[in-house]
Amino acid sequence: MKKLRDKKAMKTAPEKGQGKFQVTRRQFFGVAAVAGSMAALSGCKTVDKIGGDSGWLPTQYRNSANWPVTVKGRVPIDPKNPCIVRRDDACILCGQCADVCQNIQTIHGFYELPVKDTFVCIKCGQCSLWCPTGSIQANSHIEKVMEAINDPDVLVVANTAPATRVSLGEEFGMAPGTWVEGQQIAALRELGFDVVLDTNFTADLTIMEEATELVNRLTTGGTMPMMTSCCPGWVNFVEMYYPELMPNLSTAKSPMSMMGALVKTYYAKKKKVAPSKIFNVAIMPCLSKKAEAARSELNAAGVAAGDETMRDTDAVLSIRELAYMIKAAGIDFASLPEDKYDSLMGEGSGAGIIFGNTGGVMEAAIRTGYYLVTGQNPPANLLKLTPVRGLEGIKEATVEIPGFGPLRVAVGSSLKSARQLCEEIKAGKASFDFMEIMACPGGCIAGGGQPRTLVPPADSLREARIETLYKADAKLSREKRLSHENTEMKTLYKEFLGEAGGHTAHELLHTHYVDRGDSFVASNGGEW
Amino acid sequence: MKNSAVLVDLTKCIGCGSCTVACKLWNDLEYSATGVEGNAHGFDAELDQNSWCVVDYEKVTNQAGEEVLRFAKHQCMHCLEPACRTVCFADAITVSPDTGAVIYNPQKCVGCRYCMIACPYDVPKYEWDKIFPSVIKCQMCENKVAAGEAPACTCVCPSNALIFGDRDEVLAEAKARIAADSNYVNYVYGENEVGGARWLYISDVPFEELGFPMNLPTVPIEKPVHNFGKLQPAVYGGAAVILGGLGLYTRRRMKIAAEKKEKGGK
Repeated sequence: MKKLRDKKAMKTAPEKGQGKFQVTRRQFFGVAAVAGSMAALSGCKTVDKIGGDSGWLPTQYRNSANWPVTVKGRVPIDPKNPCIVRRDDACILCGQCADVCQNIQTIHGFYELPVKDTFVCIKCGQCSLWCPTGSIQANSHIEKVMEAINDPDVLVVANTAPATRVSLGEEFGMAPGTWVEGQQIAALRELGFDVVLDTNFTADLTIMEEATELVNRLTTGGTMPMMTSCCPGWVNFVEMYYPELMPNLSTAKSPMSMMGALVKTYYAKKKKVAPSKIFNVAIMPCLSKKAEAARSELNAAGVAAGDETMRDTDAVLSIRELAYMIKAAGIDFASLPEDKYDSLMGEGSGAGIIFGNTGGVMEAAIRTGYYLVTGQNPPANLLKLTPVRGLEGIKEATVEIPGFGPLRVAVGSSLKSARQLCEEIKAGKASFDFMEIMACPGGCIAGGGQPRTLVPPADSLREARIETLYKADAKLSREKRLSHENTEMKTLYKEFLGEAGGHTAHELLHTHYVDRGDSFVASNGGEW
Repeated sequence: MKNSAVLVDLTKCIGCGSCTVACKLWNDLEYSATGVEGNAHGFDAELDQNSWCVVDYEKVTNQAGEEVLRFAKHQCMHCLEPACRTVCFADAITVSPDTGAVIYNPQKCVGCRYCMIACPYDVPKYEWDKIFPSVIKCQMCENKVAAGEAPACTCVCPSNALIFGDRDEVLAEAKARIAADSNYVNYVYGENEVGGARWLYISDVPFEELGFPMNLPTVPIEKPVHNFGKLQPAVYGGAAVILGGLGLYTRRRMKIAAEKKEKGGK
């Protein structure tokens, strides 16, 4: 203040004879001291050592040369990948993504270099599950979904996959494998979803279509062995690595895509809603489903409604994304009352429930296949098909079906197992008629969109989730455990689809595959 | 390693960007808001003040006429006779006697940015947003390499696209690979560019398509500068002698003229 006053005084009353602004010695040193300390604080740096190296690297990279390292670098990710995105600032180059991609899924390292014009990826999302820092995350659909929820003109429909109800609770402190089907429905309603349907319903439908197709192929001499087609990572794998086996894939769509096609046709018609006003959200344990929903050919409802740009499935939320939404909305998940699915497409059988784990689709298909061949429901031993249960990579079983003979089946989980089984088929050495593959080890219960856990996901955790699914199936009455006894599905066939494998069913529930074998050059692994 | 070098086999790069992350981790660099979604790799990735190493994704046409995806890693080329050192009057840029890397010393730098103009690869960047900015460029992990390790980027490469070693051996490997596979362009980028660099590239698509500056002189920038510079003492000395002589001559004439005038005036 004093200084200011002095300045003013000097300006208004210049000293005699001089007439100019003067800086006193004290002012000069004051300004110099402030400027000097600011300079010292802001920039005049002292560098301990020149030549960079002020940071850190994991120990495996602190080596003398280009030394062989077991886990090195990371996987490439297309900036336009529909399933996953990566934030580099969270990446620590731990190598877990490359490890699972190379050693469990046999993709990373299993193609020739140089690449062609794509990033080689079958979009299973396991890298995202294994990433310990959250660097690789789901390509979020949360914003899209919230926009639809906030639009009063749009009917937002959710459908929840089988494996979501045994893991969502873990995000809220519950034990692995806790059954939270009811709370999940309640949470979805609280978030603003107008209708909550069960993907188990279309799992039953998938079984009807797939088992019908299997019986048809067996009796009319179709391409054998038949392979399941519910898992989008597996379908991508076949299209890329084994396009010659595409005729072996069942043409039945996955439960999610059947749901999409029906929500905007059958459900819209029944509830008298314009298909264009429906926003269909799939709640999935999977990240690959985001890519599946974006496949151009999955617009059956749009084709039926005359608008080919309309998607059957508008958005896919992984369990992690749903958990984030529930937390962000401040919903106390644990204290939610158990709610029930909406009718029309909300009933699911025990066979639908076990779709969520490896071997489950096979077991469900055998139950209904038995009925289709014999006209009778399967005996009790087929309701607990132990040989196809468990975490083992490859499981085989033979089932005796009266009037048909032995049906030989194989179940694979992880794409390493799938590769082994595909090689058997290619070599003509396949000793089975029907093969189920789930790309993620253990099936959807350990899918890429599941809550983050240990790395790698512990067997005990995967087993806990699987056990809950099997228990939920086992405690149902006999009829409730069979896909073909689903009463809502019977109504659907009667009132809308006609017969299984029929014309309408084919248009809405079956699909085709695209040969992507020439987008890269496959190899059998080894040194790059 | 005194004569260190890195071979970049662009046909082996899968575009994972591990090298860019290793560089950030090891040198404790921030992620730019200006980069591709903050990352130092992607389509149109460019070196900037926080990124000493970037991987630029390019859709290019290969020799067979197919459109392919290629990934060009960019960082300081570490010239054998660096232009930036030639122009630096503050001695802030030196060639390391231990590794051969071109090292920048921020304590000596005066911030003139001559090096940025001199660099034929447009590598050095400037911290425009700082009050006392430094010039930014790859240091080839000088201390890590001097300690017997390999540079961070080469340690993490999962597809062995980056090979660290003695320059003569690495160059021989590059030539051997080209000789063994006709898909390669018959050219080792960095072998002779402005006198040669410690980063050597081989590729199956022409380098100009990947944004590498072509038609650079094969002699180091220091050479023409030296050719010109060595004449300077003679030029300046000669000029001093001639001008001095002329000056003396003129002065003497003026003096005589003044004397004459004085006499005449009397």
